[in-house]
Amino acid sequence: MPVRILIVDDSGFFRRRLSEIFAADPAIEVVGTAGNGQEGVDQVARLRPDVVTMDIEMPVMDGITAVRRIMAAHPTPILMFSSLTTEGAQSTFDALEAGAADYLPKRLEDIAADRNEAIRQLTTRVRLLASRGLRHTASRQPAQVIAREVARTPTARSAAAGRYRILAIGASTGGPVALQQVLTALPKDFPLPILLVQHMPASFTGPFAQRLNQMCAISVKEAADGDVLAAGHALLAPGGKQMVIEQRVSGQVAVRIRESEPGQNYRPSVDTTFTSVARIFPGKTLALVLTGMGADGREGARALKQGGSSVWAQDEKSCVVYGMPAAVAEAGLADQVLPLTSIGPEIAHEVSAWTS
Amino acid sequence: MALDPNDEILQDFLVSSREILEALDKQLVELEQRPDDKELLNAVFRGFHTIKGGASFLALTPLVEVCHRGEDVFNLLRRGERTVTSQLMDVVLRVLDSVNEMFTQLNRAEMPDSADPELLAQLEKLSRPGGDNATPTPAVAAPTPVEASGDITDDEFESLLDALAGGEAPAAAKPTAKPTALASTVPAQAAAGEISDDEFEALLDQLQGSVKPAAPQASPAPAAPEAAPAKAVENRPRAPAAEPGAASAAPAGETTVRVDTQRLDDIMNMVGELVLVRNRLTNLQATMGDERLAKAVADLNMVTTDLQIAVMKTRMQPIKKVYGKFPRVVRDVARSLSKEVTLEMRGEDTEVDKNLVEVLNDPLVHLVRNAIDHGIEAPEVRAAAGKPRHGTLLLAAEQVGDHILLTISDDGAGMDPDVLRNKVVEKGLMDADVAARLTPQECYNLIFLPGFSTKTQISDISGRGVGMDVVRTKINSLNGSIEIDSARGQGSSILIRVPLTLAIMPALMVIVDRQIFALPLASVAEILDMDLTATNVVDGQLMVLVRDKTLPLFYLQHWLAPGTPNRPLPKNGHVVVAHVGSQRVGLVVDQLIGQEEAVIKPLGSRLQGTPGLAGATITGTGRIALILDLPTLVRHYARRSYREVA
Repeated sequence: MPVRILIVDDSGFFRRRLSEIFAADPAIEVVGTAGNGQEGVDQVARLRPDVVTMDIEMPVMDGITAVRRIMAAHPTPILMFSSLTTEGAQSTFDALEAGAADYLPKRLEDIAADRNEAIRQLTTRVRLLASRGLRHTASRQPAQVIAREVARTPTARSAAAGRYRILAIGASTGGPVALQQVLTALPKDFPLPILLVQHMPASFTGPFAQRLNQMCAISVKEAADGDVLAAGHALLAPGGKQMVIEQRVSGQVAVRIRESEPGQNYRPSVDTTFTSVARIFPGKTLALVLTGMGADGREGARALKQGGSSVWAQDEKSCVVYGMPAAVAEAGLADQVLPLTSIGPEIAHEVSAWTS
Repeated sequence: MALDPNDEILQDFLVSSREILEALDKQLVELEQRPDDKELLNAVFRGFHTIKGGASFLALTPLVEVCHRGEDVFNLLRRGERTVTSQLMDVVLRVLDSVNEMFTQLNRAEMPDSADPELLAQLEKLSRPGGDNATPTPAVAAPTPVEASGDITDDEFESLLDALAGGEAPAAAKPTAKPTALASTVPAQAAAGEISDDEFEALLDQLQGSVKPAAPQASPAPAAPEAAPAKAVENRPRAPAAEPGAASAAPAGETTVRVDTQRLDDIMNMVGELVLVRNRLTNLQATMGDERLAKAVADLNMVTTDLQIAVMKTRMQPIKKVYGKFPRVVRDVARSLSKEVTLEMRGEDTEVDKNLVEVLNDPLVHLVRNAIDHGIEAPEVRAAAGKPRHGTLLLAAEQVGDHILLTISDDGAGMDPDVLRNKVVEKGLMDADVAARLTPQECYNLIFLPGFSTKTQISDISGRGVGMDVVRTKINSLNGSIEIDSARGQGSSILIRVPLTLAIMPALMVIVDRQIFALPLASVAEILDMDLTATNVVDGQLMVLVRDKTLPLFYLQHWLAPGTPNRPLPKNGHVVVAHVGSQRVGLVVDQLIGQEEAVIKPLGSRLQGTPGLAGATITGTGRIALILDLPTLVRHYARRSYREVA
């Protein structure tokens, strides 16, 4: 049965383009289109589509409000179309927080240089969102769920005191909301430096870091070349680039921001950062692989595991897309598999137990 | 870089953007009145945003860039981080102009040129938050050639040349310039502001240059022939109003099909042929008198009429296409003249043939400018006369029978018949005693005379005395008519009647020297049978008295069949009284046939451009008839004195 999709966009031009693109895919059926948020909400109630694509700027009712209404009345996976601007980033994060499952750049060229490849990715994304259904609505999950006791397996912990020197987190689809939830759970005096790798376009990582910084007790900033790691400070890998760390003669550890190489499909890549962390902090890293499509992070996790570090993965149920955590878990690299709501408190607990 | 004009996506973008641009035009003007209207600011933001989105889909970088910056500015505005000032509006309106220019290029399937860097720089400045004191650089920046003032005097031109040559300082050259009457007004205009001179010039040029009344069938689109079919029209079938909510949610795109206008023209042509066959059948049936045939012909008649109307409707576009730009025109003109004008529009959804929409544009713009310039008084004058400071300009459109009636009326000063009489005499366009006998109505029509302008000072806006006669010629070439009504102190109204379509025209068929001719029914006032011996020759012109008024009389035979001059003219004759411009003339014909739907066919290359011929048609009896273009016919053949009046 084809994926039933509803297109919400105030531009007739875009509605027609998207309809054409989806109509060309036999696995997708466009069941309706709507010209503004209000129509979108009404159409969702009437048509009950499997996936909704949603524009942000629309008359009558904007996309973010529409997402909120749809998620309240008839939770449906929603794919946002965003402009790759600072403004667009902010709106996109708002939409994700409101419950949208994922976003894509509105310009096909921004998805992939080759138009056919971009269309392929777009349709794949839609099919995937539909097949996964709605995994979670992170923003509305009440905090008390944390009560759930996690089977803590004291896995191959090295005997050394000061077990952890760094926390590294990788995420993709669904990551912005997941990261927000994890990081807001960390206290201001969190004793470790944090590295964040979130698959995201270049123009989004800056606003995303600012946003996290405002929400979290810890400080968050977009990493710049030469930034020195410090406890309680999270550095977010800039979009389009690669983030690695290196030890200086002084003993300080600093991040290096490098251009992506042609072979690197993920920019930034979790594998690249994790591998570099495994080299500098062997056995002393707590790594976390959150929701996301694909398998980026598995090879990095493998390197970390080989050095004796710990790797945790988000569980299937709480993932928007259970791809990256699945890859890690299925390769036998995960020490723990946790629901999203538990991850933050668990980290805080684990780290306080093993540091100082 | 050339784009593919047949690219469906590009065409879709052009069509959908056109609506947005028209809306933007209106919204920006409204914004000046309601600068704090959040909804409006949002709407403008979205307008730029949507065009940018489409443009970036098609990788039209220059368009993306300028829209992007426009969007940025409005983003600040809608978040209240900047306020709307008239300076800001000037820049934003220029942005819209720039975007419109790019669309003109896109319509020609050309990659648009980048926007003026100076404009982009100003936008950049405006798109930074705060800094309201950021004064944009003076709008009339010297190096931008587009900005060059329209009315440049020789002296100024000289000094400009000097300046360019880098010789004397331009400031030194200026004082030596002889202050001509024209020159003295120029600095004032330049100071008055930003009504773009080039735009106005272009309009004037267009009005003056493009009047070819002999070819009404020729498509008015100046585009190159191969580019013409690329232009497409979006037909939106009118959805019944009472359809359930589902319909409103259905996208506009799914219920419409874009059809090449060429194809519509072809269909219209074929329907024309069908109408001709129908006419012949009707004729045949009348002579045969068979009842069953009569029934069938009557049915055919009905179906053909319905089909004709249906096809005509596919070519219809709302007059909004033209009216939509008036808020901006009114705003610009009013601003440059320091007048306060409220524009009211009615019947914007009235539909008119696509070709008509295009041709009507320029005359209407001219009339609107005129109404503000000559009609509506300055705010102080109005206040002194006990009127509201704001003048009101009404633009209305409605369908009246098989015609469209367009009204442009203002609540300004109105016209004074005596002033007009004096003027026409002063200009040497008419004798004093002739002028004295004119009714007020006829006086108003004097403004259509070539060379007639009542304003002593030549302003930037109108008053060059070239506009109104061109406007009338253009309306006449559409088989339309134009009338003026005025009341002193209360305002003037201009009524324009144009046919619904240009392809089929009701005509009066007449015979002159055994040939059939078609006279556009729109210009026929009445038909008289009269004693042709009761005529007088006044000032060399044959005149006849009809109900105590003189009527110039012309024998069409003299003009149309000059080869048979010595046939004795009949004592009694049929006289067709026709409106020709502001004048009524009597045309003597041999025989009257009756009214017929004339399907206008273009003339072959040999006859093309013959003065007085508008085209040809095939009559119900299967004969070919030439369609007369009365204004040019009279202008070409009648004596000089009448030529001018016509």
